[in-house]
Amino acid sequence: MDDDSRVPLSNLHAAGNLLPTTGEASSSTSRSVRTEWPTIDGPLGLSHEESLTYARRFFKLGFLCLPFLWAVSCFYFWPVLRNPRSQQSHPRLRRYLVGSAIGFFLFTTILSSWALTFAIGGERLFGHVWGELVMYNVAEKYGLAGWI
Amino acid sequence: MEQNRRPKTILETCGEEIIRIVTPVSICMLLVVILVSVLNGGSSLDDGLSFATMATMAYSESSSDSIWDKIKGALLNSLVFVAVVTVATFLLVLLFYLNCTKFLKYYMGFSSLLVLGFMGGEIALFLIKVSNFPIDCFTFAVALYNFTVVGVVAVFISKMAIFVTQAYLVVIGMLVAYWFTLLPEWTTWGLLVAMSLYDLAAVLLPGGPLRLLVELAMARDEDIPALVYEARPVISDAGLGDGVVRRRVWREGRGDLDEDQRLRSDLVSDSSLRTYGESEREINIVDAEEGRALGRDSELAAPLIQHINIRMNSLENAVSGENLALEGIGLGSSGAIKLGLGDFIFYSVLVGRAAMYDFMTVYACYLAVIAGLGITLMLLAFYQKALPALPFSVLLGVLFYLLTRLLLETFVVQCSINLLMF
Repeated sequence: MDDDSRVPLSNLHAAGNLLPTTGEASSSTSRSVRTEWPTIDGPLGLSHEESLTYARRFFKLGFLCLPFLWAVSCFYFWPVLRNPRSQQSHPRLRRYLVGSAIGFFLFTTILSSWALTFAIGGERLFGHVWGELVMYNVAEKYGLAGWI
Repeated sequence: MEQNRRPKTILETCGEEIIRIVTPVSICMLLVVILVSVLNGGSSLDDGLSFATMATMAYSESSSDSIWDKIKGALLNSLVFVAVVTVATFLLVLLFYLNCTKFLKYYMGFSSLLVLGFMGGEIALFLIKVSNFPIDCFTFAVALYNFTVVGVVAVFISKMAIFVTQAYLVVIGMLVAYWFTLLPEWTTWGLLVAMSLYDLAAVLLPGGPLRLLVELAMARDEDIPALVYEARPVISDAGLGDGVVRRRVWREGRGDLDEDQRLRSDLVSDSSLRTYGESEREINIVDAEEGRALGRDSELAAPLIQHINIRMNSLENAVSGENLALEGIGLGSSGAIKLGLGDFIFYSVLVGRAAMYDFMTVYACYLAVIAGLGITLMLLAFYQKALPALPFSVLLGVLFYLLTRLLLETFVVQCSINLLMF
């Protein structure tokens, strides 16, 4: 079961460790199950409340034509995404993650189909427009690579 | 549960931490070497490369100058560069002293935007041109935009996935290091030596800007807003006999190096490893039940490499159950070594410059840099205070480069020609 309460140590900085409190005074050897962490960083990552905030923010920001942000979000919260039981424990978080994953796949499919058509079709398909669209010609035309 | 209690050997704890810092340094160097060999392949760019930057403001090297002129020019360039860096570091100290942390954070984000967007884009364009990769401008624009924005987010947000943040820091280091390798040869070497001497002075001298920065951050107990690579802390298993785990955290007050504009305005090179000494607030708690002594040290912030000893179960936390629970979980005070991005950059510049000559020098310089890094880490563990990371590695690297180029190469080439060895 998940422990939703986190008490940050007042004197921890930098790596931002937030640790769960189990309410038990016994050592960890008596607990055979560790609390589940929502992020891939485990104990070094976010707490459950923060995860929701971050997942929501990533989901919304990803609509600015940023599928990579959706992919990073799925990567970051991978333990929640891959565990089907988290549907009960983190319903809202999981909804954002599934949305991010679907958005990423859709966008990538569209983009890669366009890119592959462009690359494989080449001049046969596009005619002279291909030469005007391909990046190295565009860079030469506008002198983009000469700043260094 | 007794089998979980196998104590970790020193190889696993210390070795793991060292590996977690040596690996990204090596990856950054490898990427720069690959970039240099792919993009500069064959032709040397030393002839007449006279792009005006901060680093070549005083003297623009051309291949027709005599050796003495080149040396003088390189010295002049390095002095100018170090002067600019000093001024920028003092400016950073001043801003930090006046609590302009927000401004510094925004500046960091802005410069990583410039580095990732513009420099990353240019280098990607170079690669596309060299390989004739048929990508169209829309896809390229979308990909670059994604890459840049996620990078800025990773640098800005402190709680992003550790792997993503580390990867982006390595990429930023690689891009800036590649830019530095485009400078003329003598200037590059002069710059490296001058920067390592500056680093030594700035960290260890009482009036040095980096030392001031570290002490300020220590006194205020807050983070220096800068680009610092923090290795993932080694988390000890729960219930180990030794309840005291060191946490080494160091922050590098290193500002990001960007292209000209950034160099002109604000250069902070905290390429120093610093470790902070322990503060007086050391509290020792003796846990009567378990017979372990736990102490708590304050956090030491040191630019470059810091050694922060934080032990869990502080006295101030009155809830002892919580303490024991934390101790039970065993995530305790494992440390994380922090290395400033400037160190990454200058190590990679050294190895990249060596790659412009031959791969033999690359191997020699790589070994020298790693050896220097190892020595610095040992000193870090020994002295427990902020240390500069550049001097040992860069000076060893330069020495090895000269020795290889002058002595080893002749030997190896002659042996190979005569089918004797290699």
